[in-house]
Amino acid sequence: MSKIKFRWPRVTFWRIVLFAILAAGFYATILRFTKGLGATTNLSARFPWGIWIGFDVMCGVALAAGGFTVSAVVYIFHIEKYRPIIRPAILTAFLGYLLVCVGLIFDLGRPYNIWHPLIMWNPHSVMFEVGWCVTLYTTVLALEFSPLVLEKLPWRRPLKIVKALTVPLVIVGVLLSTLHQSSLGTLYLIVPHKLHALWYSPLLPAFFFISAIALGCAMTIFESYLSLRAFRKGIEFELLNKLGLVAAVALLVYLVLKVFDMQGRGVLTLAFQPTYEGRMFLAEMLLGVIAPIVMLLIPRLRNNQFGLFVASLMVVLGFVMNRINVAITGMDRSSGVNYFPSWTEIAVTASIVGAGFLLFGLAVKYLEVFPREEMDEIARGKRSELPVLAAFRQPLWSATTLALVVGLVFMGATVGLSYDGIRRRVPAPSELAAEKGDVNINAALGELRVPGDVAIKMGKTSPGVVIFSHARHVETANPDCTGCHTSQFKMLSTSPDISPGKKMQRCGQCHDGVKAVSTTDKERCDSCHARH
Amino acid sequence: MSTRNLKQKALLFDSTRCIGCGACYNACKEKNKLPQTAVNFLRDDLSADTYTVVNRRNNRYVRRMCMHCEEPTCVSVCPVGALAKSPEGPVSYDASKCMGCRYCMQACPFNIPQYEWDNPITPRVRKCDLCRDRVAAGQQTACAKVCPTGATKFGDREELIAEARTRVRNNPGRYVDHVYGVTEVGGTSVLLLSDVPFDTLGYRTDLLLEPLPQLTWNVLHKLPKIVGVGGVLMSGIWWITKRREEVQRAEREGKLRDTQK
Repeated sequence: MSKIKFRWPRVTFWRIVLFAILAAGFYATILRFTKGLGATTNLSARFPWGIWIGFDVMCGVALAAGGFTVSAVVYIFHIEKYRPIIRPAILTAFLGYLLVCVGLIFDLGRPYNIWHPLIMWNPHSVMFEVGWCVTLYTTVLALEFSPLVLEKLPWRRPLKIVKALTVPLVIVGVLLSTLHQSSLGTLYLIVPHKLHALWYSPLLPAFFFISAIALGCAMTIFESYLSLRAFRKGIEFELLNKLGLVAAVALLVYLVLKVFDMQGRGVLTLAFQPTYEGRMFLAEMLLGVIAPIVMLLIPRLRNNQFGLFVASLMVVLGFVMNRINVAITGMDRSSGVNYFPSWTEIAVTASIVGAGFLLFGLAVKYLEVFPREEMDEIARGKRSELPVLAAFRQPLWSATTLALVVGLVFMGATVGLSYDGIRRRVPAPSELAAEKGDVNINAALGELRVPGDVAIKMGKTSPGVVIFSHARHVETANPDCTGCHTSQFKMLSTSPDISPGKKMQRCGQCHDGVKAVSTTDKERCDSCHARH
Repeated sequence: MSTRNLKQKALLFDSTRCIGCGACYNACKEKNKLPQTAVNFLRDDLSADTYTVVNRRNNRYVRRMCMHCEEPTCVSVCPVGALAKSPEGPVSYDASKCMGCRYCMQACPFNIPQYEWDNPITPRVRKCDLCRDRVAAGQQTACAKVCPTGATKFGDREELIAEARTRVRNNPGRYVDHVYGVTEVGGTSVLLLSDVPFDTLGYRTDLLLEPLPQLTWNVLHKLPKIVGVGGVLMSGIWWITKRREEVQRAEREGKLRDTQK
């Protein structure tokens, strides 16, 4: 076991960027927990869920897709060749779920009650199920990840226990995470009137589930690149190639189901209308579904390392776009407000992602995420750190790079155009302010029943009892209850709250000698007192 | 879930009888001890300090408040059961259970629940609770009590529906032939009458007529089955692939032994 020596890290460009992001996130965190959600986010009653749900939660869960795919393949299907990427996949999944949990702590109004769903059950709530899935699967991932830490410790017993538990844990984990992927879609089943018809469908859970399978394959390919050994030894390229094919099939099923579903609901034409939603939808489908299907089904591209990598990357990006479209783009129009995250929301999200990278880096450095001898080889400079760069020398690199660049440009342009669309869209007119003309209340006035007379308690110095008559005080053609209620006189109390000390003052607001007889006009007391 | 019974209370709001005096608005503020939020109450909107508003739309006065659905979406989506519908009709909120996920706000088809956005530590969801304490004590809601024209009327839901239908029938031409809230999202405890289309008053007329909680329950109730079947299936695959591997290994070793012989 090597000793861990502390050294000051070298200053590099990316480390400065990371530090800046984390510092901004730290400041945003202080603001969030001292000033509240209202002052620090752009959330409102009309738009209660922003990017902390739309990105941190929805996409953090997605990072786990690689984890459950690989562990199912290795432990359940016994395809041992994938074993080398299990650890990075589990680590990514674990970090993804931590992203979800931390995101939730920022988003929840009362984060200290986050454990409540565990004891206060409401099985009718999808959120209840999501809460349980997050809790259980984070525990499972922590246990699956624990051998990496435990093997550094001198005690062997806990390690043995965890290893014995592996298979049941994996089965529970695969079940929980697949359930969870689809139940994030189920969350939106209950907003048929709010989510745009391009994304709302009774099949949302199925769409979320199928796209998660494709994503699981894509994430595995992606992580294999990260595992540094992907195309050298260990994993045979054939296997990743097959995963790519599985992803293409899953996406094809997704695409066909989506088209038929939209055709059935009669909303297919909405996709081609020049609206903000239409453009975002097309971008998502072209970039994240159709383009990768084509790339993965062309054997020359699929058999090319870089081609496979780019196709997987596009699947991942398309997935993220889909989740953000469901959570934010699709909810925008019905909300009547134009939500765009505030800098604090962005800073918190960026620093959670940054912290994820940092933790991944630290784990790779101090734990055996990748086999030790490989790390040594890299340190000695025998192997290039990024196989991706080496792949640039491959024959088809230009075609695939072109696809990536076109995809990114397309996505950027779409976002740019839609941003323009957001600003140009006329904000929901404040109908209340724009109303003109008088309301004809003549019919309603026929129903007017002015409250009866109210006897007011006599004070000691009173010259006679006062019977207050609503009929005499209310102008029946234009009644205005709020002139006196509730500023001067309470409405609901059973005994009129006009104590002797206050009555002169309160009645005196109008009985001032100008609007009406003054309360202090000693000659005309009988105007009100003991008139009857 | 359903708490349908004859004793269930409701409000009937008849926009043709509303004179926009603001008595209900102010009585609500008074009853719930809420601070003033607007100079002109007709321009006010729902907020954490305003549970009901009277607005002018399409040259009518119209109230907006929690509809107290028969099968409330907010109650169904709350993961901790902080929202509940009592047998008398009111949908009310228990802040001590709430964890602040705001799914109720996200899911409400009428966009009613409001939030204490500026409270950093203990924000609450705020909305009309149909004067739960008054109703439990046999009184009518504050807004209905003070209404001078009977535009807001409190009573048993079934009786109010019958009365609303009678009003429509006995005044030909005065009303749109529809009592809003009898069937919308499975029925609500706030019923509306109007002489102009309801959508011009700011009420959605494209709402589903079935209770929304059904949409998620259709999927959720299948979960135990999926978990059971999935667990057995995966354990089976695990066992089969493991067995196959063992057999292969045994065969290989057997062959090895054979060749050694």
